[in-house]
Amino acid sequence: MASRPGGGSLEGMNETPKKLTRSRADRVVGGVCGGMGRYFNVDPLFFRIGAVALAFVGGAGLLLYLAALVLVPSEDQPAGAPGVGEPGAQRNRALVIIAIVVGLAVAFPFLLGGGLLLAGIGIPLAILVGAGVLVWWLVSGEGPSGDAGDIARRAALGVGVLIVCCFIALIGAFAAAAGPGWLVAAFVLLAGVAIVGAAFVQPLRWLVLPAVTLALSGGFVAAVGIDVHGGIGNRDYRPASSVDLRDHYELGIGQLVLDLRDTDLPKGDVPVKLDIGVGDAELIVPNDVCVATDAEVGMGNVRFFGHDHGGVDVDYEDLSDAAPTTTRLLLKANVGIGQLRVYDSRGEFYDDFDPLDESHPKQAACSA
Amino acid sequence: MHKRPDIPALVAGLVVLALGGVLMLDGVDAIDLTLEAFAPIACAGVGAILLANGLSRDR
Repeated sequence: MASRPGGGSLEGMNETPKKLTRSRADRVVGGVCGGMGRYFNVDPLFFRIGAVALAFVGGAGLLLYLAALVLVPSEDQPAGAPGVGEPGAQRNRALVIIAIVVGLAVAFPFLLGGGLLLAGIGIPLAILVGAGVLVWWLVSGEGPSGDAGDIARRAALGVGVLIVCCFIALIGAFAAAAGPGWLVAAFVLLAGVAIVGAAFVQPLRWLVLPAVTLALSGGFVAAVGIDVHGGIGNRDYRPASSVDLRDHYELGIGQLVLDLRDTDLPKGDVPVKLDIGVGDAELIVPNDVCVATDAEVGMGNVRFFGHDHGGVDVDYEDLSDAAPTTTRLLLKANVGIGQLRVYDSRGEFYDDFDPLDESHPKQAACSA
Repeated sequence: MHKRPDIPALVAGLVVLALGGVLMLDGVDAIDLTLEAFAPIACAGVGAILLANGLSRDR
């Protein structure tokens, strides 16, 4: 017996065509795969696996899902909504076809291994819309259901909330990095007192998100140890003698290079402190100088004579000894986010260093 | 009659207070806050807010 999609028989040809709607009962995100499974009488899991797989192929799955989310009506849509065959539905179908074409256009450059231009616009846009819907869902409890206009409105509101939060996070991060340590904490505590107090009278729920955003951004900066008091830019220091050598070099954001290869350093211990908020700090020493290091990096890595130590809250310590007739640099370094590199004149040699190569010479100037 | 507090707002306020307290302790150098310590605190706080919010909606 001939049949049509959905399992209907020829006898049912005069019936109203089956309508593709997003499922309300069988949904993980927006009920798109559940609705398609019901429409095609197939387990929705296949559509879900396909959507996830396509999401990793140039993001086409994500884009198509969002298009379906916006264009396919939910099954709980009011009776007055446009049905199949009506002008509204025809327009929706046309838009779905356009979305599929756009999705494939975005995916194909990836499949062919090039052409990032389309993907560079389409995927971020899709992610932004998805993030907007998700944020609004979390903030207001209004999920991705209803008609296209509702979802577009929620996406726009969610993106608006995201922008405001980014703005607050930037202010909080800058205040924590540039101001006194207690400043952001005081604002967060004040907001907390207001929210708790108001919970008994008139809840101030709108204040929760800005307060949490401020606390998280300020906390991140404090935890990583970013300090921008040293200014912004690139600093290149090449002191000629130990008189010119300062005991403390500081930079907020940028690159700090302290080149001591031509510095006339005294024998014995010479303390040097490097502080950098965000960026790279480089210390270049003569080959006959021993470096004892105590370095803390909030997020990033320490590259000490080719030995690489990276990650979060990196605490690197190498307190090598040296003969009294040798110069020993006592380096104390703090890097918020970035890299600390310490090497001598053989810098390129250390870049090619293989940590497993036992024949690699350690700091020759330090005693065993 | 005594009015019942808004539980999600109360939980959120307490979480914000806790985060503010941790930041203040670090700000006055009473503790040395690291990312490894702050990340779980932040996740737990945000999780508590979402949980309280979600449970209140189900009622």
